[in-house]
Amino acid sequence: MTTRFESLTRPAVGGDYRSQPRQRTIGFVLAAVGLVLAVVTLIANISAANGDDPATAAETLAWSFGLTTAAFGTIKLGIAAILIGVLVRLSIRVESVRTSLPDLAPAGTSPGTIGSLETDYGAAKATLTTPRPLPIHRMARRMWAPMIGMGYLAVLAGLIVSFVWSANVGTSTGADAQAWTQGLQFLGEGLLLAGISFLLGTILASLREGGGRVQESLGITVRTLRMPTTAKVFVALMATGLMVSIAQFVLYVVLAASNPTQVTFASWLAWLGPVREVGLGLLLAGIVMALVTIGTVLGFQFDRIKDIVRTGN
Amino acid sequence: MTTATKTRPEFDYTESSTGPGYNAPQKMGRRLWAPMFALALMAWPIGLVLSWVRAAEIVSATPDPATVARLGQLVPAFMFLGFMGIFTAISFAIARILGAFRRGGGEVQQAIGGDVQTLKMPATARVFIAMTMMGMMAITIPVILHFVVAANVTTWAPETVVRWSEVLEGFRRLGTAMYLFAIAFGLGTIIQVLRFQAQRIRGLANEATA
Repeated sequence: MTTRFESLTRPAVGGDYRSQPRQRTIGFVLAAVGLVLAVVTLIANISAANGDDPATAAETLAWSFGLTTAAFGTIKLGIAAILIGVLVRLSIRVESVRTSLPDLAPAGTSPGTIGSLETDYGAAKATLTTPRPLPIHRMARRMWAPMIGMGYLAVLAGLIVSFVWSANVGTSTGADAQAWTQGLQFLGEGLLLAGISFLLGTILASLREGGGRVQESLGITVRTLRMPTTAKVFVALMATGLMVSIAQFVLYVVLAASNPTQVTFASWLAWLGPVREVGLGLLLAGIVMALVTIGTVLGFQFDRIKDIVRTGN
Repeated sequence: MTTATKTRPEFDYTESSTGPGYNAPQKMGRRLWAPMFALALMAWPIGLVLSWVRAAEIVSATPDPATVARLGQLVPAFMFLGFMGIFTAISFAIARILGAFRRGGGEVQQAIGGDVQTLKMPATARVFIAMTMMGMMAITIPVILHFVVAANVTTWAPETVVRWSEVLEGFRRLGTAMYLFAIAFGLGTIIQVLRFQAQRIRGLANEATA
């Protein structure tokens, strides 16, 4: 199963490097669907605010919450599809560079030195062969698909529970459904963002492995950037954000199971809402760090290609 | 540097003698991702602490409805100020990646000695920039209005405060969806750049061997 999902991130055997990737189209369509759903929930909220019946407004706001989170989840699913497309194109790019560089670079004059070195982009190392993937890279390759799958299922399950909440507003069943909706959907959002983070980790792994393969195929020293600080911060933020997302789900379940008074229920919702948002915020902060790391690695690799083209080494 | 606009199937690009470097959005992305990231990390703790104060007020022996209502406006204001910051940081980080491709691709072609071909800004990149700006507006304006409502909880009727909250919540969510949509298009632009560069380097190799 893992191998099947991993194969999604690689180009089809014999595929044309000029072909238009279908993942991008799928991603754009999913993003558009999510945006339309968000507009629907905006209209629902405005109609609830303008209505005269508070009970009807509460019912509308209940399903509107579920639908909004499902809209966000759908766009994130689209983002994941596009990232899969990026991974496929990266593999094709590596193949293009590997095939073309021997015709573009002069023959090397001397082998480079092996060991640690400093570059404009941070500490790097020079080796004779492509470095093995780091444990976090192997984990990212295995985990992105289960995270995205479980995340979107949790978001959809929460959407269904939001309809139960909407049909039982003002009752204890409605309160339980409210807690379950919020906990489940934000767990799902957290898992989706973790899946996206793992896809970004897979992109970093692909850049590292691809850069190494190109250099190794030319018979020159393989220079690889050591894990930058931004990458370490990325891993820490992602792990913390995922833990907070799981913890908020557990706390919502505890709340639903404890038959609280109305006051206690309102008090818990008052602080649990921001906690669940901080969980997602930390995951998003991790994604910023991953993207910054990708930018740094790309800068390093372009510099390396320039060196090879100029000197052959 | 001389620049000419050319078209080959699927791609509009410019041809010049030297690398074009970063464009304006990419320069902005390189400078501003970190301040926006810092804004998010500062806003969230404030929102979190205010939510604890509000929760404590709700369960206190004599809760003050005005304080609860005021904090009910301030908490989402700070939380979404943070989300505005982090989503903008993500957009700027994507612009930074696109900048790395543009500058690096140009410099490599210059080093090879051929004409430097650079992809013109694709339509997806324009959607990315436009939706980022719209998302920023759709969150910033409700955040400001939350502060306005918070300042008026004692003068406005409670129903009015509730109605405002419901409408502002809807716009905040739409802003979030717009940001996510923008991010999807920013990443989609990276795919287009990767396709262009893969074809360009093969073209350069073909020219070298011809």
